Amino acid sequence: MYKDYLRYILIFILLLLIQLLVLNNINLGGYINPYVYLLFILLLPYGTPRWVLLLVGFFTGLVVDYFSNTLGLHASATLILAFVRPSIMSGLRFSNNINERSMLNISLTGTEWFIRYAALGIVIHHSTLFMLETFSFRFFHLTLLRILLSSLVSFVFIFFLEVLLTRKK
Amino acid sequence: MNSFIRLLQRFSYIILFAVLLAVSLSMYINTSYYQKAKVGAATGVITGFFSEKLHNIRSYMDIKRDNVKLSLENVELRNEVERLREVIGKCADTAGYNLADTSITLIRAMVVNNSVSHRQNFITINIGINDGAYQGMGVICDGGVVGVIAATSPNYSTVISLLNTTLKVSAKHAKSGVFGTLSWNGYNYQEVELTDIPLHVGISVGDTIATSGFSSIFPKDIPIGVIKDFYKKDGSFYNIRVQLLTDFRALNYVYAVRVRNITEINQIEGSR
Repeated sequence: MYKDYLRYILIFILLLLIQLLVLNNINLGGYINPYVYLLFILLLPYGTPRWVLLLVGFFTGLVVDYFSNTLGLHASATLILAFVRPSIMSGLRFSNNINERSMLNISLTGTEWFIRYAALGIVIHHSTLFMLETFSFRFFHLTLLRILLSSLVSFVFIFFLEVLLTRKK
Repeated sequence: MNSFIRLLQRFSYIILFAVLLAVSLSMYINTSYYQKAKVGAATGVITGFFSEKLHNIRSYMDIKRDNVKLSLENVELRNEVERLREVIGKCADTAGYNLADTSITLIRAMVVNNSVSHRQNFITINIGINDGAYQGMGVICDGGVVGVIAATSPNYSTVISLLNTTLKVSAKHAKSGVFGTLSWNGYNYQEVELTDIPLHVGISVGDTIATSGFSSIFPKDIPIGVIKDFYKKDGSFYNIRVQLLTDFRALNYVYAVRVRNITEINQIEGSR
C-alpha cells in the first residue's frame, strides 16, 4: 500500500519536472504546447472515489499553475478532466477484470483501450485549457488548430511515457 | 428525509466539483496578470535556477549569430559615440553641459526563460532587486521593445512580454509623430497591432513605428517595427499591422531601462 503511494509521488514529481523543465520551454511555431502532467490523473486507479479524483485534479493543476504564471487556468482544466474521467471509463466499457485499486497500466488495459482513453482525456483537457486561455471566440479556427496540434503532440509524449513507466516496473 | 440525505450523498461529488470549479475559475478571472506574475516570481528562485542552466546550453547554439549581431551593433554604437562626443564638445563650453547627467541607464540582463506560444507570454530575466530592478521597469533589446517587469525577486525578474495580450504600449508613427496604442492580438509572434491613429495622418507600408516616450517606462524613439498593412476601423481610425523587428523566439540579451528619478516621477504622478 505504502509502496503504491510512493510510486504515485515519484511519478507526480517526474511528470512535473518533465513539464516544467522541458516541455514548457518548447516553442514550436507558436501553436504547439504539449502537456504531459495530466497523465497523472489518467493513471489513478479505477476504484478511486470521485471526490478524491476531483481534489487530486484540482491540486495537480494548481501546482502547474503556480510555476507557469497562470493562476487557476490549469486547475480548471485538470478539474474538468478529473470530473469526466469516470464517464470516459464507463463510456469506453472499461473491462473490470483487473484490480480496482492498482495503478492503471497499459499492459493490463490493452494498448487499444489505452489509446482511446488517453486521446479522449487529452482532447477534453486541452479544449478546456486553450479555450479558457484565449477567452474569446475571435480567431476560433486558430484556437481549434492549437487544440488539435497540441493534443497530437501531447498524446505522443504521454503514450511513450506510459510505455516507459510500464517497462521500468 | 432519509432519501433526501441519500440523494445528497450521491451527488455530493457534483457539489464538490461545482465549488472547486468556482474557486479555480474565479482565481483565473479575478487575478490580474501582475498578480499572477507575482506568484510566479516567488517560485522563480527554484525554476530560475534550472532555467538558467538550460538556457546556458541553448545559448551555445546561437553564439555565432549573436556574435555577428553584437559586433554590428558595436560598430554602430562606436560611430554614434564619436559623433556625439564631437557635438557635445562643441556645446559643452557654451551651455555648461554636465556629461554625467543622464536620466536613463541600461542594465544588461540575460533571458533565462521565454515563451511565444501562449496568449499571455512571460519572460524571466536574470536581474532582480539586487541589481536595481523594480516593478514597472521597461525592457528593451537591440531590435526594440521587449516588455515591462511585472515582479521582482532578489535575483530574477518576471517580464510581461510585448507578446502578452494584456500589455498595451504607447507608440508613435515615427514620420508624423502621431501616437496610438500598441498591443498584441495573440496569434502571430512576429506581428503587433497599432490602433487609434486618426485617418488624416498619411501612413504607408514600410514606415517605422517607435516608442512615444510618453511614459516613464521606455525611452523615446526606440524602433519597434515597420508597417505591414493597415485598414480603416470604426470610420475614424486606422488599425495598423506592425511587423516586429525583434525575433522573440531568439531573445538572448536584453536591457532593463532604469529611469533615474523614477520614485520622484511616480510620486508626482500619483499625487494628481
